[in-house]
Amino acid sequence: MNLFGILDVSGSALTAERERAEIATSNLANMETTSTPEGGPYKRVQVVFTATHPQSTGFSNVLASVSDLQVEGVRVEGVVTDTAPPVRRYDPGNPEADAQGYVSYPNVNPSEEMVDLMGAARSYDLNVSAIAATKSMIESSIDILR
Amino acid sequence: MSLIDTPNMSILERYLNLAAFRQELISSNIANIDTPGYKTVDIDFQRELSRAMTLPEGQSMPMVEQVQGLIQRPDGNNVSIDRESLLLSQTQMQFTAAIQLMRAEFQNLNEAINGGA
Repeated sequence: MNLFGILDVSGSALTAERERAEIATSNLANMETTSTPEGGPYKRVQVVFTATHPQSTGFSNVLASVSDLQVEGVRVEGVVTDTAPPVRRYDPGNPEADAQGYVSYPNVNPSEEMVDLMGAARSYDLNVSAIAATKSMIESSIDILR
Repeated sequence: MSLIDTPNMSILERYLNLAAFRQELISSNIANIDTPGYKTVDIDFQRELSRAMTLPEGQSMPMVEQVQGLIQRPDGNNVSIDRESLLLSQTQMQFTAAIQLMRAEFQNLNEAINGGA
């Protein structure tokens, strides 16, 4: 039970949410990318979150007690590729066009990505408020010394 | 009981410990708001506080349990933003209130030491 450990928990969420926003913006940026080094159009990727014990710093590790083991942070377990097929659009003038004149575009839906991005931003904000609350608690305990 | 370690002090100390632990659980719930399958955890504050009173200092291990009756999303997660943000500010205020009481206790002591001067 230590207040500094709470910052590790909320901090892990900040990292995870930032990564989620990064992935969503990367999907948006590559909405029209028709060729990649691996061949074929860009494929939409998504993050997978999992609950985990926060990687605490050495100092708070020393102060951590058994009950802290019940507290879980979050981390990005992996990045998975969406298996949805690419969208085919007729564009015979495009150098990427196949014999029938169709070009394979990434399976990215901009509205879906925007919603994901907003969700990540909201969750990030919420965790920032949690950090602010914890900070004010730490400050008030320090006030006892004054 | 000694001059500094008054009964009020040890009650406040247990209260603060429990409030800090609850804050930790709430932060953990908030951190996992997007984790599939995560279930909201919490402690029964009143029950744990009265249990901590009967045990010697630092002996109590709060019992963490999953909160029932919350709406579960399709991904198996049941964290409610409203519940957690409300509890976050509530716990913060409880903590600050206990800290103020503790300061008042120390001030009384200080006054006694200084002979009311």
